Amino acid sequence: MTGRQALRWFGVVGCGIWLFLTLAPFWWVLTTAFKPPQAVSGGPTYLPFVDFQPTLNAFREAFAGLRGDFLGPFINSTLISITATAIAVLFGSMAAYALVRFQFRVRLLSGLLFAAISIGGYVLLTGVLGLPPPQTLGLCLVLALPLAILVNRLPLPGPVLKNDDISFWFVSQRMFPPIVSAFALYLFYVELGREGVRMIDSFWGMTLAYVAFGLPLAVWLMRDFFRAVPIEVEEAALVDDVPRLRIFFQIAMPMALPGLLATAMIVLAFIWNEFLFALLLTSADWQTLPVLLAGQNSSRGDEWWAIAVATLVSIAPMVVVAGALSRMMRSGLLSGAIK
Amino acid sequence: MSARAPSQTSAAASVAQAGIGLAAAHRTAAPQMIKHVFIWPAVLVVLLVTLFPLIYALTISFQSVRLVPPAPARFIGLDNYAEVIQTARFWQATGTTSLIVFVSVGLQYVIGFAIALALYARVPGERLFRATFLLPMFLAPVAVALIARMMFHSAFGPVNDFFSLFGWHNLPFLTEARWAIGVLIVVEVWQWTPFVTLLMLAGLQGLPRDVFEAATLENASAWQQFRDVTFPMLLPLSVAVVFIRIIEAFKIIDTVFVLTGGGPGTATETLTLYAYQEGFKKFNLGYASALSFLFLVVIIVFGVIYLAVAKPIIERRT
Repeated sequence: MTGRQALRWFGVVGCGIWLFLTLAPFWWVLTTAFKPPQAVSGGPTYLPFVDFQPTLNAFREAFAGLRGDFLGPFINSTLISITATAIAVLFGSMAAYALVRFQFRVRLLSGLLFAAISIGGYVLLTGVLGLPPPQTLGLCLVLALPLAILVNRLPLPGPVLKNDDISFWFVSQRMFPPIVSAFALYLFYVELGREGVRMIDSFWGMTLAYVAFGLPLAVWLMRDFFRAVPIEVEEAALVDDVPRLRIFFQIAMPMALPGLLATAMIVLAFIWNEFLFALLLTSADWQTLPVLLAGQNSSRGDEWWAIAVATLVSIAPMVVVAGALSRMMRSGLLSGAIK
Repeated sequence: MSARAPSQTSAAASVAQAGIGLAAAHRTAAPQMIKHVFIWPAVLVVLLVTLFPLIYALTISFQSVRLVPPAPARFIGLDNYAEVIQTARFWQATGTTSLIVFVSVGLQYVIGFAIALALYARVPGERLFRATFLLPMFLAPVAVALIARMMFHSAFGPVNDFFSLFGWHNLPFLTEARWAIGVLIVVEVWQWTPFVTLLMLAGLQGLPRDVFEAATLENASAWQQFRDVTFPMLLPLSVAVVFIRIIEAFKIIDTVFVLTGGGPGTATETLTLYAYQEGFKKFNLGYASALSFLFLVVIIVFGVIYLAVAKPIIERRT
């Protein structure tokens, strides 16, 4: 038993050290925000009132906008991430619900046909006829999609993809290195800009990109949550001839509410923190907080008090989200769902 | 009136019956149609925003496209790909990225699993720990990198203060290649170990209790219990968790961008950062597209090798 006792102490000490390492950076950024300049450039200081006299100057400067626009990116980040999260979670929940409650059968051949028509058609139309890319892609979609759906009804040979494969298709979007899709989206948005649709550095351009960014996560998480919802209530409603959409919004969604909230918070955190898309797709008007933060580095140098204030403002909402989530998890609201 | 009443009621009944019949038909046919209403918005978003731009980028990668100086696009086949493969910087970035990914994911797994085991054994202070351990995951990597930049400052930072206790003053944390890669790994481990802990803890809590009780009755030591029961039972989950972390870690750019900017020189440049530099500093679009597709190939190759190695191990163990 002494071995177990020793192990237990080892565990306590190890967790203690990790806890300290987890919290130390928070302490550092929190105190730095209140430091006067000499408490930064004179070497590290740790304890307010002992090592240095705390001051609110850095906060005043930041909120007065003395050092460049700070409020703008904050508002941008808030608007974009809340809108994108709402749409991603709505669409994601609908798709997840469909994947849990209905049977889908997609023939591999019709999927391949869709890919062949859209890629082949695109290459043909832009290369030979010289059409501009955005219109061509739209045309390809309009042509290839109905054809693929039609072909899907024919009794063709080959493997049939079912719900699990479709779910995997959604999730696999997240396995792409984001630079691939961010770069592609940038080129695509530039092309759209040439046709007079402004997507680069615009609200809808960013929101649309982030909806696609958050969607796989939302589908993946909501699928588990809808699975945990008992089907009996919905069946009773179906017998009473309640339309499916009403069942979804008035029965299924409310019953999966804890999961829905958790999903929304996780998606929100991912979108709020996202850097690469924002870096590529915005320039001035719709810059988000992470891009502003990354710029602090070169523009501020060693003005750590200002950097710390900016960092604090950008992480504070997510600290609240993390706290709410770990609370939900401890109270068992999400038991069995996060797996 | 009385004569007409029955016919009225029967008419109403037949209408009602027809209604029920319609409703029944509705029930059998409607789900087939309504399911499309549910799934298509999501599918369309993915098609329009992710896959169709990819087609466009794929065609760009076979062309020579430069914005600065502007030159008309022309088809050059696989030349971009050949050029990337022959560039030493691409292989260096691949090496750097792989090094960061494998060392940091390895450490995350070991530390994260250990913490999950400790939490599962309910060490004292477990409640406090649970309330806070998720925090790093929810911070923007850019913010984490900014904090790390302050903490690892070679003169004013607290880490330097700590090392000074042992007589190591002003270590070049961010300005020398080896140290900088070390710092990047530390930052990755700090931020993503909670993810491993979260999932491994969920896995532990899902294990049947009686197995542990049986092991305790047989007087198995803690190590034996771990080696023969806990670890094998969690192996499939471990494989999945490590897989997710590897895929996610390969995307690393934010922390590198802020902490070192890829420097000194290009010593800490990762694949994403390299692609970004080519595409947005040099506006060499065809080359950058080819580069990002090769990056995709690198990830797929690693993923396939990983799963090929992991699968027999899982099957042998279970």
